[in-house]
Parts: sequence; C-alpha cells; structure tokens
Amino acid sequence: MTRPDPAKHAAAQTLDEPAREANALARKLGLDPYDVQYWVVDHDEMNELIAYDGFQTRYPHWRWGMKYEKQRKQTQFLGGKAFEIVNNDDPSNAFLQVSNDLADQKAVITHVEGHADFFNNNQWFGLFADGEGPDAAAMLERHADRVASFLSDPEIGRESVERFIDTVLTIEDNIEYRRAFDRDAEGGDPDALAETLASLGVSEEVRDEVFTETWLDDIAAVDDSVQFPETPEYDLLAFLRDHGQAYDEDAEKAAAFEDWQRELLELLRREAYYFAPQRTTKVMNEGWAAYWESMMMGEEAFAGDDEFLSYADHQARVLNSPGFNPYKLGKELWEYVENRANRRAVLEHLLRVDGVTWRNFHDTVDTADVVDTLAPPAAVAAVAPDELDAVESLPDAYVDWQGLAAAREREIDVQRYPWKLFTYEGLAHRHYSLAKPQYRGFLGRVTRDELESVSRYLFDTARYASVEAALADVSVTAGWDRMYSVRESHNDVTFVDEFLTQEFVDANEYFAYEFSQTRGDFRATSTDAADVKRKLLLRFTNLGKPTIAVYDANHENRGELLLGHEYNGVMLDREQAEATLQRVFELWGRPVVLHTITKRVTDSERKRARRNDREPEPEEVGVALRYDGESVSHAELDWETVEHLAADDLDYDTKPDEWL
Amino acid sequence: MGLREDRERFHEIGEQRRQDLAEFIQYGDLGGSGPDAVRVPIKLVDLPAFEYDQLDRGGVGQGDVDPGDQVGEPDEAGEGDDDEAGDESADHEYYEMDPEEFAAELDERLGLDLDPKGKKVVAETEGAFNETARRGPRGTLDFAHLYKQGLKRKIAMDFDEAYVTAALRVDGWGVDAVYTWAREQHIPVSRAWIAERARSPSPDDDAGRVVDDAVWASIDAMEAAVDVEPTRTRIRRGGPGRVPLRREDERFRHPKVVEHRERNVVVVNIRDVSGSMRESKRELVERTFTPLDWYLTGKYDNAEFVYIAHDADAWEVDRTDFFGIQSGGGTRISTAYELAENVLDEYPFSEWNRYVFAAGDGENSHDDTEENVIPLMNDIDANLHAYVETQPTDGVQTGTHAGKVRDAFGDTDNVAVTTVTEPDDVMGAIETILSTEDNDTA
Repeated sequence: MTRPDPAKHAAAQTLDEPAREANALARKLGLDPYDVQYWVVDHDEMNELIAYDGFQTRYPHWRWGMKYEKQRKQTQFLGGKAFEIVNNDDPSNAFLQVSNDLADQKAVITHVEGHADFFNNNQWFGLFADGEGPDAAAMLERHADRVASFLSDPEIGRESVERFIDTVLTIEDNIEYRRAFDRDAEGGDPDALAETLASLGVSEEVRDEVFTETWLDDIAAVDDSVQFPETPEYDLLAFLRDHGQAYDEDAEKAAAFEDWQRELLELLRREAYYFAPQRTTKVMNEGWAAYWESMMMGEEAFAGDDEFLSYADHQARVLNSPGFNPYKLGKELWEYVENRANRRAVLEHLLRVDGVTWRNFHDTVDTADVVDTLAPPAAVAAVAPDELDAVESLPDAYVDWQGLAAAREREIDVQRYPWKLFTYEGLAHRHYSLAKPQYRGFLGRVTRDELESVSRYLFDTARYASVEAALADVSVTAGWDRMYSVRESHNDVTFVDEFLTQEFVDANEYFAYEFSQTRGDFRATSTDAADVKRKLLLRFTNLGKPTIAVYDANHENRGELLLGHEYNGVMLDREQAEATLQRVFELWGRPVVLHTITKRVTDSERKRARRNDREPEPEEVGVALRYDGESVSHAELDWETVEHLAADDLDYDTKPDEWL
Repeated sequence: MGLREDRERFHEIGEQRRQDLAEFIQYGDLGGSGPDAVRVPIKLVDLPAFEYDQLDRGGVGQGDVDPGDQVGEPDEAGEGDDDEAGDESADHEYYEMDPEEFAAELDERLGLDLDPKGKKVVAETEGAFNETARRGPRGTLDFAHLYKQGLKRKIAMDFDEAYVTAALRVDGWGVDAVYTWAREQHIPVSRAWIAERARSPSPDDDAGRVVDDAVWASIDAMEAAVDVEPTRTRIRRGGPGRVPLRREDERFRHPKVVEHRERNVVVVNIRDVSGSMRESKRELVERTFTPLDWYLTGKYDNAEFVYIAHDADAWEVDRTDFFGIQSGGGTRISTAYELAENVLDEYPFSEWNRYVFAAGDGENSHDDTEENVIPLMNDIDANLHAYVETQPTDGVQTGTHAGKVRDAFGDTDNVAVTTVTEPDDVMGAIETILSTEDNDTA
C-alpha cells in the first residue's frame, strides 16, 4: 500500500488541501465524521481493497479471490470505474484511485466525509462499536492471523478449515443484528461444563468412562423437560457455537466441536455483526453520503467551475443506474425528510397566526410569498469579496466572525471558500430547502391532513399577529436538525417506514411489482405508498432474508434441531433451503428439521385462473424438511403445527384483487 | 501473498478441489454470445442460504407505470462504486461487450497488432466523379472542360485585328504581302480574313490607336507606330467574345470505380471429441476457442465459422453442438484436416483469410501425425494454423501430436502450438496463437 510511487505521491499531495477543506466544510455543515485517512492506490490495489471490503487484510478465503476476479473483469471489460471505498473504522480509511481526475477525487472525498459521519453517529454502528470505536482493521487482522494459524496446523488441514468456513457462511445472515453484539460471550454451557470436568483432575479415561456422552445427554434431557430454547433463538451462529456439534463421518455420529471450530464460528459471527450495520443502513448511509456530497460539491462549489461538469456527470451516472438504486432512494428520502421538517416548522408558526387555521390555511396564506420571505438574504446566498460589509450586517448567529476577520485580512479566499464566513445556521439558511427552485411548490402542496395533524399537536401559547411576525421566528435549521437526529437513531427499516409517504411515492414514481404466474412475467401491482413500503421493508427487514429461528433443540425428543421459518406471506427458495439445511447439519451433528409454510397451487386452480385471466389462489401449506445426513425428506404438516409460524398481521403480498 | 492465494483457491474450487461446491458454481454459457455481443463469462460460486423465493418476492421499481403494466424483470442497480461490504445482490454471470471492443481489449492487453487484410472484392462502388469519357449522358457533360478547351482554342486563334489591318495601309502592300508578313510574325490569321478586311476596312480600333488616316511608308514605320495589343489585354477588355465550342472537346464525367475488398475470414474450428476428451478438457477448448472466435469476429468485416468434430472420422457440426459433443471412438486427426481442406475449397485463399484451429489432448493414432496431418497442414493455405493441446493437470500426458507438430514446423510463422492445462493458461494460449500469425503471408 505504501510502496513509493511518484504518481501516487504527487496525487496525494494535490489531495491534501481538498481533504483538509472538505473536512472543515463538513464540520461547518454540522457533520461529525471520524477522522479519515486517505490513501492513494493504483487500479490493482483498488481491486484488492474492494475484494477485501475495504481492508488490507482478511482471513484467507477463496471468496475474496472471487470478488477480486469479478471486480477486475468488470473494470477490464466494462471500463467500470471504481471510485471509492471507505471502511467503517476510527479513523476511517478511504482509498482513492490514482488515475481518477481531481473532480472525481473531490467527489469521493466529500462522499467519504458523509460516510465517516454516519459511521460515527448512527446508533446501529454503535451496537458493534460499543462506545470504543469498532477497531475493525485490528480485529480483522487478528482474525486473519488466527485463521492462518489453523490452516497451517497439520492436525487441522487447509481443506477442513475452508469447508468449515463455507458451512458457517451459509447462515452468516442468521444473526440477531438488531441486538448489540455481545462481545463477551462465555462460550456457553458446554464449555463451562467441560472446564468444570477438567478441573476435577480426574484422568481422561475415568472421565470418559463416567461422564459418557449419554450421561451428558441425560443432563441435557433433564433440562429439556421444559422447551429449550424457551423462546425462539434467532442468533443461529451463537446457538450453534454453544450447543452445536460436528458430525464425525467415520463414527457416523455427532462429535464435540474442536476448539478451532468453535473459535472460528465465533470469529465469523463477530465479522457478521461487524458488517451487519452497513447492510441494515445501506439506503440511509448511501443517501446520506450522496446528499452531503452533492451539497458540498454542487451547492458549495467544492468542485471548481472547470470540474463541475465532470462531477455532474459522475453523479448522474451513480444516481441514474437502472433498477432499484439504494443511492437514489436514500438521497430522495433524505431530501424529503429535510423538506418535511422545514415545512412542519413553517406550519407550526403559521398556524399560530391570528385568523389562520388548518381549515382556511390555503385561503389565508400565500405560500409563494412565504417562500420568498424565507429565501436566504442576498449576502448569504452569494458572497462577493468586496462586499464583506454586507456579511457583517447579517444576524449575529449567521456569521463566523473569525472567518470574516480572516477574509478581511485576505487570509482566506472568499471566492473559493465562501462558507468560511458562516456558521451552521448561516449555511442552513444559505441552503434553505423550501426556497430552492425545485422545491418551491413543496410548502404549497401540503395536504389538509397534514395541516390538521400539525395543528392538533400545537401548544396554543404564543400567537402571532401577522404572517411576517410568525415567519421571523421560524428556524431555518429545522430541516438539517431533523436530518441529524434521524441519522442517529434510524436504520433502513425504520427510515422507510417513517418517511415513505404517499406524497413521496407519487413525487418519485415508485411502484410495487409482483410476478404473475398466469402471465409469466413481472407486473406492477400498486403505486400505493403502503404497498411500496411493504416491498421495501421486505427487502430491508432481517437483512432482506427470511427469518429463521431455533425452535427446539430436542425435537421429537431425539436431539434433532428444529428450525422454524417465520412466514410472512413470501415463501422460501426451496432448493437453497435444502442445501443450507444440509450445512446446518454439519454444525449440529444430528438430524435437522425446518418447518416452513409454502404456497401450493393445484393444477385445476392454475387452469381455472388461466381461463379467467386472473392469478391463481395459492393454498398455504405447512411443510417439514428434514435432513438426516443422507438425504432430505419432505413431509406435509397440519396447519396447527405451523400456525404459530404464520404472521397474522404481516403480509408482503401486494397483488390486488383485480390485477391483470 | 494473501489475495493471490485466495484467487488460486477460488480457481480450484469445483475443479481440482471442493467438489462439494461444484453445484453452486455458475459459469456464464460461452455459447450465449452472438455477433453483436460477446458475453465474457465469469465464474461465481454462490453459497446457499435461507432466501426468499425469487418470484414470490416481488419488488419495487421506479417509473411511470400503472398497476397491471408489465415491468420486465427489474434488475438491481449496478454496484459500480460499491463502497461497502455486504450487498451482493447484483451478481451477474456475464459481462457483455461488443466483439470489436473485445478485440480492441485483447489487442491492448496482449499488445497485438493484427491488421487484417481485405481480400475478396465484394463491391465496386462509385467513387467521386473523377473519370471522364468521350461519350456519356448530356447530364454528365464536363462543361468546364469543354469551355476551357474552347477558350484555349479561341486564344490560339485570336490575333490583334487592328494591327493586321494597319499593315494593309502600308504603302504598296496588298493582301498577299500582308498575309506573308503576318505569317512571318506568327499571327494566326487567314488570307481570306485579310482579303475581307481589305475590302471593307474596320473604322475603329477599340484600343484607340490611329489607324484610319495613317498610311505607312513602310512596314517598319507601321510596326514602330502601332503597338501590338496582347491577347490577354484584349480579352480582359472586351471579354472572350464567342468561344468556339466543339464536339471533339466534349468530355463526359463518370464516377471512379472503387474496389472494395472485404476483410473476410473463415475460421475452421476442429475439436477432438473422442472418449479421452473429458469435461474439463472440453471446457478448456471452449474457453480458448470462443475468445479467438470473438476476436476474429471483432477484427474482420465478415467472419464465417466452420466447426469440425472428429474422432476416427470427421464431420461438420453446428456451433451449438460443437463444444458439447462426446463420442466414444478413437482419434484420427487427419480426417478433420481432410474435411477442412474440402470445406476450404469454397473459400479460396486468394479471397479469404483463413484460420485453422484444432484442439485435442494430443492423442492421435499411430503415425497419423507425421504421415497425414503435417503434409495436410502444409497443403492447406492459411494465415494461421494452430493446435491447442489441452492437458488438465489431473491427467497424465499421453499425447504426442503437439510435440510432433511443433518439431515439424519449428518457428514457422504461420503455425502455432500451445498447451492449456487450466483456465489461467487460456490468455497465454490466445496470445501465443494470435501473435504467431505472420502478417506478410496473407
């Protein structure tokens, strides 16, 4: 990474100032990023970093090789440009490709500052960081060393380690990502018991003789007079770490995990928890970075005049890539959050003007006038180097007096860095969203419902005699303040749930779609916000994966593992479920069973539906898949057996009754 | 260290190692490429997981549609600047590109400089109207030419009439004397004109010279007194007057005929499909031949492909079958070359660039290589002959065909022999083959 290379060194030098100023600007705008270390790397190093998820060292695994090849082919054959990679660490490390031009580098830097702020302040990242920062690079490097030591241990062998990793990876998403990572796991009961046995000081022979597996099982059986686990356990990795066993092929029975296996399981689980927040906040995080990048690059002209076109092109390519685009959805939602909060702040004041009520709002208030009044003062909107007096006459709270003094001494270039003259509040007014051309109509589009709800929660304290008096009290930072508080507490699920309104769906033309069995293709089902939200939540909830939990560790009293799929109206991919089940067996050592609900369409119903040109009505049926080490068997289950798995109030199916 | 090892492990998966994962490997199907698009396949190993059923899952799209509208299979956003771990939902089995781009990529990557030659004349198109003929439709008459010729003629026949007329006033001179004098002066005047002028002298002289009253004592006196007006001055003053246009000067323009030579290529792909060619070898052939086909498709205007499968006999097959066939019989490579020779009769070397690529595991029946194949390779004119020997590492090398061919042709610049033992060798093999072609032989 640090090979001396004149091109990289030169590139790093030119990026010094942009990086410093981007950070200063970010802080002015209210961001609170981790410190970022920027590295300039060449194309091949960039591919490597992408393969390693932004780190320089990972445990040995073919998966990184695959990602590297894919990335390399993508850039080689498609001319795809890897613009940036930043990792969640304190300090964060961001990598810039030496061949990018300066406009691209600046865009990357501003984008990265957004991510670094998010990493630092979003509580979901805090679940892992535990107040001390993630210390990720060091953790991953430790993991790499551990795995490497397993690999080189002649008693273990490379292939067994690799196989075990692959097995664990099939359920790496089956963790309880909503909970804080419990980093001081004791290793569970079996360990404790084994330690106790060891401390007895009896010889191994005696131990084996007396405390046989049967005896240990009996103990478990006594405990299992009540259901174990008492409540469904969603962290499959933790459960199997504590209670799982390997399957000994030669002996054809379960055998306790080797130490390295248990350790490896925990190591992979820790990485899964580390990476989970990035996945559960992808839309927010990407949107956040895109929003602030656009604010800094575009609106604060961090891209020089000559770089702006190149930047606009870059931005357009990122935001307009086809299909579902988390960057775009995220940015649109953040802008909506900002506008909504600003609108609400305005309404809360206007509805306290004498004579204005939610019923007569549209008749008594000229929203275009309101927007004009709220537009930034000229001295804030545009700064001229020879009109610094105008800045001085602005409200106190807007002016960065130190900056202004420096500007008067010509220590700072006001033309390039006008933001240095202002405070957070000044900048908030400078970029006040409701006054931007594209949102000028936003205030006026407020619905009666929203007006009513705002007015319902108003304390009827201060009243205003006039619209002007009310507007004078409106805080211009309401939008940004709200954004900052949302970025602290939300993840993609809550973010979409709270802010994806009908107004947003209409404005941005989102729709839900489903596969039509009768037509054999995908069709739009709805433009209703509730339906669009359902489909998005399906994608974000539980990392976009079906929820699987351990329901019984002693199923049928045979020591089999019973997993339950909590059905929400969307069925499992059967083939993958069977393949995964076979791998869970490797971690349980005894047969594993999965209860799920599937949709079945009879042939006659399919024909009827086709004849009437409608979708067939599937029947929901309980199914048990069981893998015993040899083959997968299927059995139909009574509805009573699976009823508890079916969510009553959740259904992600958006097919309307009258669809085709 | 690190990543290189990871890549090696990845390549081995499902091949030399980890057969347990073989079922999760997806390779793009190389055959999916057409003349317009090349799909560069990538290997992906997709570990299973508890997932939603893809069709049952549905999704969200963006755009102006109404419920019930078909929306196509919506694809995920490109992860062009994926800056984080995690979301791997945008896996594609292929990267699509244009054959020409592919060829350009390969040229750049391998530093090739293959400049295909046009051979077959496919069209004589009309170039610019630069050629002329004495006959043609009136519309194509080159009037500029005709007029220029007329003007030349006019200039050649032009003389200073006043000057000659002045000579008629020389004391004692008659028509004959003037004519003789004019001829000596190289004035292109006819005797008849002088005679005509003698009868009715022109009253004026445009140049304002005094002619009427003067009677010259001698021709010398006249020459001294009257300046000759050069043709140039006269035409500039009075215009060319009537330009004598003559039929013999007519020229009709017609377009220049341009011979277009198409850069066309015929590629014969020969493959051993006998029992010894196992799946892994078969795949190596496909991995080598397919990019070669793409490359040549991208390089030439018109590319035709002939696929010949052989064991102890040879037969022509479609591309779709070519890489999949497996037969039981023995191996006799010369049968394929005999068939190739026949097929290539339809593609004369004077009009076609020819490439003959053969692949197999190097096994051949006794003496067939020396006695038949090598002479046939000598006989078949081609830009390039290549033999790709596939020897996956799991097998013991048994074939000798490649070695014999190599010995027979040595460094001949239109025969390439190369060995591929694993997918990573493919690029090297392609480079060997494509950089062997001697650009001067074609």
